[in-house]
Order: sequence, then C-alpha cells, then structure tokens
Amino acid sequence: MDNFTNTNKNRRYKAHVSIFGTTQLHLKSPYMVAFWSVAFPGFGHLLLSKYIRGMLLFIWELFINQKTHLNSAMVYSFMGDIESAKAVLDVSMMHLYIPVYLFAIWDSYRTTVDLNKIYLLAERENAPFNTFSIGALEINYLDKKNPIVAFLCSLTIPSVGQLYINRFVLGFFHLVMTVIIVYYSHLLEAIHYLLLGDISKSTSVLDAQWLFYFPSFYFFTIYDAYTNTVENNKLFEREQKNYLKKHYQPAGFTIMKGNKVK
Amino acid sequence: MQIYATFESSNYIELAITKLEEKGIKDIFAVPLDNRTEERKIFDTIHQSDGVTFVGKGMGLAVIFSVIGASRGFVLEWGPIYWGLIGAISGFALGVLIDLYIYKVYKKKKRVLKGKNSEIILIIDCDESQGEVVEGVLWEHLALGLAKIKNNQEQTNRIIENV
Repeated sequence: MDNFTNTNKNRRYKAHVSIFGTTQLHLKSPYMVAFWSVAFPGFGHLLLSKYIRGMLLFIWELFINQKTHLNSAMVYSFMGDIESAKAVLDVSMMHLYIPVYLFAIWDSYRTTVDLNKIYLLAERENAPFNTFSIGALEINYLDKKNPIVAFLCSLTIPSVGQLYINRFVLGFFHLVMTVIIVYYSHLLEAIHYLLLGDISKSTSVLDAQWLFYFPSFYFFTIYDAYTNTVENNKLFEREQKNYLKKHYQPAGFTIMKGNKVK
Repeated sequence: MQIYATFESSNYIELAITKLEEKGIKDIFAVPLDNRTEERKIFDTIHQSDGVTFVGKGMGLAVIFSVIGASRGFVLEWGPIYWGLIGAISGFALGVLIDLYIYKVYKKKKRVLKGKNSEIILIIDCDESQGEVVEGVLWEHLALGLAKIKNNQEQTNRIIENV
C-alpha cells in the first residue's frame, strides 16, 4: 500500500519509496562515480541506483577476472614480479575484459551527468512522490537516519549499512557477495592466524586472486551506505517542508501582538 | 494566546501537530526556514549535512592504498593483511586531509550550506486555558525553544478578574 498513486500529470519525479528501498535522484560528482567504476565495474551504476546494470557488470567482472587471473597478475605486478604476472594472465579472455571495463567507466560517467540534469528538472518541478509504503513483506518510509551509524554498521560486515537505510536490493546482493569473497579468499582464516601471531601461516592461507576483490568492495559499501543516508535525510527534510507548507499555512492565520509570558 | 516553538525537521514535529489536532487545536501555522551560509561541519550528522561528503576521497584512496599495500604485503614481513590495513587507514586519512585542505583553505569564501540546518517555526493559536497542555505537548516532542505570547487586552482582562 502506497500513499501516492502516480497520476501521470507530472513529467519527472525525484524519488520513489517502495518496500524494497528508497530510490532517489541527487547530485553526484561524475568523477566520483567513474572512480568507483574503475575500482570495480558495476559500482558506479549501483551508486546511481541502476541496480540491474550494476549487478550484471559486477558479476561479469567476477567471472572474467576469475578466468583471466587479472587480480593475481596485478598482485605480481605490484610485487615487481613481471614475469609471473605475464605467465598467470590468460590471454584468450583478456581482450574481452578491456572493452566492458572501459564501457562501465564511460557509461557510469555519462549517466551521472544526465541524471544530474534530470535531478535539477525534477527538483524544479517538485512533483509529489510516494513517501510511504507498507506491504506483506516490508515497510519503508522517508525518515532520518544517522550517517555515522551507517558508517559504523558498514565497517562490521558489508551489507549491514545498506540494511540500516532499507537499501534492500543492495543489502542482499552485498551480503551474498561478502560470503562468496570471504569464503574463497580465506580472509577470516588469515585474520584468525594473525590474531594467534602466526604471520607466515596467515599469508600462506590467503588466496590473492579472491582477496583483491575485497578492498574495493568493502570501502564501496561504506561509501554507499554513508552518502545515501545523508541524501535520504535531505530528501526527508525537503518533503516535510513541502508538506508543512501545503497543509499548515492557512490563509486566515494572523499573528497576535502582545507580550511574552511565562 | 499564541505559542511559538522551533523544531528540527524530524518526525517529532508531525507527531506534535497530530497530537495537538487530536486535542482539538486546529489553528496551527508552520514556517519551514531556509538555510544560511555557515561554517561547514566535517562529518555530516543526523542534524546536519551539507551535501559535501568528507568520506568520498578517503574511501577512494583507502581502496587504492590497501590494494597496493596488500600486494606488497605478500613479500613484506608483516603480510598482506597488516599492510592492507595500514594502506586503508593511511589512504582514508590522506583523503580526509585533502578534503579538509580544499574546504578550509581553497573554498573558504564560497561556502554555501546546501543541505539543512533546517528548523521549523510552529505557531499555535489556542485558548489561554489550553496553553499549558499545548506547551507540554510541544516540549514532549522535542521542541528546541518555546514562547507564549499573550495579547495585552487578554492580560488586562485577567488582571481585572484577579482584582
């Protein structure tokens, strides 16, 4: 059940609240979005709430990187072992990687520029949108949340920050991906041995190919949760202002002159 | 009598308004304020967010530094996790420092508070007998400040009644 049904009388809407999350347009830096696409194809699109495209690119990256051993090659390169880097790369698939990678970066950049324009138009039009949704599976509504809490939640396990702000689609996706990446990279085992003080065992148990998905993934979930909390709060405030102006500014109201009393 | 109260924008103000309406007080006027230019906060809080995040560059550099740190960690003594963490923390710190520098030094003059600091003024017109109740409701729902205004005429009447 929603509190707003689209009347098709408006041209653009700046947000939509559904049981699966709050989707909103807001101004973003195209460079920041492009950067996240560089860090991991798909992340830029996820920031833009283009989930299907983002998740497809993410899964594609996972698949093609596993096939070409790009992460391993990267680790060898940083270690200065260029020969091993060359040897580990699978050339047959490598050239499939590059066009999609560059497309993800370019596409997220130009989409951000476009959506920023759309946002400005939607903001000026100020059309009413759905702000409350209740259904058999979930409840979602505009509300204020604390960005610091979103930040701290995300620090624990990727996906918790997204769940905190009801970003359900990403929360679920991130949780599944976290389990996969942590399991195959043996990250938690490595941390376990580090805590026991056995550094060489900790290093040997790690799988470099899988481990190197983790940094960009981990920091992305923090960034995504934090910025979206801030933007959701701003959306809440603007919507409330509109509501109060519309319903609580009666024409006949006069201000009383007098003295302040206790 | 009129009662003025200021609120931060949150669900509490709507709770207060609906509670007053339940009590039969219908003469309510709300004035959402626009924002002013102000010293930027470094971290956005639930009350304050100015649209510029100090997390963006930090997270970006944390990714880059931790990837390189962890790679090098495979050959360094402390191993990939410690070096990855060192990379992440130093990258994040560097990013925040760059942002701080940009906003403290570079853009000092141009600051406009975009997001909020929004407060709402609520004016409630009610009978003097309801004053206490309205005041109670407003305080209960986290009013920031509150003042009751009485018409001079009302005051004189009261003084006469008392005499």
